[in-house]
Amino acid sequence: MSLHQKERDIIVQNEYVDNFDFSEIEEFITNASKDLFISHKFKNSSTTLVQPRGGFPTYNKQYELYEEFEKADIDVMPLTIDSHTRLNDYGSAKKMLMLSEANEVDMLNGYPLVNHGYRNTRKMVTHFNRPVSLRHGTPDARLLIETALASGIFEIEGGPITYLLPYSKNFPLDKAFLYWKYVERVCANYSGLNEPINRESFGPLTATLVPPCITIVIQLLEMLLSLEEGVKSFSVSFAQTGSVNQDAVMANVIRKMADFYAKKIGVEDATINLVYHQWMGAFPRNKEFSDSLINTSSFIASLVRADKIIIKTRDEAFGIPTMQCNAQSVANTKYTFKVLKGLPPIVDEEEEAILEEEIHSIMEAVFNDSADTLWRKTFNSIKNGIIDVPFSPHIINHNAVVTIRDEHSNIRIIEKGNLPISEKCFAYEKSKVKLSEDKTTVINKIIEDIGVMHE
Amino acid sequence: MKVVTGVVGNDIHVVANRLIDISLQARGFEVFNLGVNTHLEEFIDAAVESDADIILISSLNGEAEGWCRDLQFLRAEYALKNVVFVIGGNLSVGEAKDEDIVPKYESYGFDLVFHQVDLNTGLDKLEEFLGKRS
Repeated sequence: MSLHQKERDIIVQNEYVDNFDFSEIEEFITNASKDLFISHKFKNSSTTLVQPRGGFPTYNKQYELYEEFEKADIDVMPLTIDSHTRLNDYGSAKKMLMLSEANEVDMLNGYPLVNHGYRNTRKMVTHFNRPVSLRHGTPDARLLIETALASGIFEIEGGPITYLLPYSKNFPLDKAFLYWKYVERVCANYSGLNEPINRESFGPLTATLVPPCITIVIQLLEMLLSLEEGVKSFSVSFAQTGSVNQDAVMANVIRKMADFYAKKIGVEDATINLVYHQWMGAFPRNKEFSDSLINTSSFIASLVRADKIIIKTRDEAFGIPTMQCNAQSVANTKYTFKVLKGLPPIVDEEEEAILEEEIHSIMEAVFNDSADTLWRKTFNSIKNGIIDVPFSPHIINHNAVVTIRDEHSNIRIIEKGNLPISEKCFAYEKSKVKLSEDKTTVINKIIEDIGVMHE
Repeated sequence: MKVVTGVVGNDIHVVANRLIDISLQARGFEVFNLGVNTHLEEFIDAAVESDADIILISSLNGEAEGWCRDLQFLRAEYALKNVVFVIGGNLSVGEAKDEDIVPKYESYGFDLVFHQVDLNTGLDKLEEFLGKRS
């Protein structure tokens, strides 16, 4: 038996888990309906697919949510996982699930997939027969992903960097890389049975003034780590920056770079998709303004021809939306896409050239690290601040990069820390903003820029 | 002057923490930032280790009260007489008035208490306090 299979056998033996029948699971995936695979839907769809967020503790409430989404003719169903499961605390998740079932009050902020198990969840997934995307935030997602794939959930979001740096203070980053390597391998192994399993990276990161070059570098590295293990369908993503032009520039560049770097490691047969997140920062408390912001995001997704959009609701500022509000948001976004067809693309050659140069410089520094494998090179680069995510709570992050918005709301780097971007690029970034000499004024501007959509 | 800062308790509100860090640096302080999810004992340990002049604790989710009751004991135990203790942020769960909150935290051993006070106003008051003391 291979080491990998031995590890799998250990992972799935857990007091909260029914026994895993791997041969039955393989048979299920081999014969599963093509409609469950988002990779299949991407291939056969010419518009932007619409996906909301959503996860409730009990099976019945999740089922009701899916019924609402079905009425709105949703493209991709979400399954958002609760925070105890994200921390591998299945005991607490079980207790809170039981309380939710007994009292009809939601005691969890998502669906505890491991506790529900794959046999039950598969019934729901196959009943609705639409692609389901797993949204979580788990550094060690090995058991969760085994359970998801066995349930018929064929899109897995996350990655060792994007699910760690925005969410955790001290979970060891090197361990996260190894746990995600396992996930990639399981996804890759199942990809040969039917349509490929799609992996998706989480581009929004901290959603707080992250400069485009850092977002894209992290997207590329997670993509490469996934393709290295044999994944054949991968989505890179980013969130609305706050500047329409910068979004268009990012979309063009990320597509070009993803192709370039996949080829660079010798992968030519993988499909790379682009996912766009509607505004991930603080939302207005005025619901009409929220509607307007959401529509603007949909417009941009259409403009940049995103393969999928992940949407928000008008209730964003107030907590978890009701099922009806969430489904309404799906219907509205689909309507907006119907109206917006064939928008002329925006191309800004100067901005694209600068961004590409920045990305190549950082990628080169990562590849030049002396470690033997890509994940170790990436780990070292984060440790050294060659990759530095603004506003990450994690102790390994450098926190030396400082960004601010220019007069057109583009995010610009004003302190580069250890980012290995050229003097020319850094000078370009700085030339776009007129900074006050007084540091307190600059900090007040940063605070304003973070809450740019807040009213 | 040296400042130890961080967010107390199981509180991951990192944005405010980073802004406090850069604001203090902009005002010329040497900052030891313990980040989010920090326990009270860790603030004290860091202050002893760095020989800090100020401990600036922040809290956003309102759970600071539960964490800071023991401050007076720790303060006595470690003989941190000359360290200025400051707390700021959102200092209660639900709505609360300044006249209730401020005396309560002062009784826990804080020299300065800023409940829902703007960051720069709070830091101006801290500098004023330090000026008067010296």
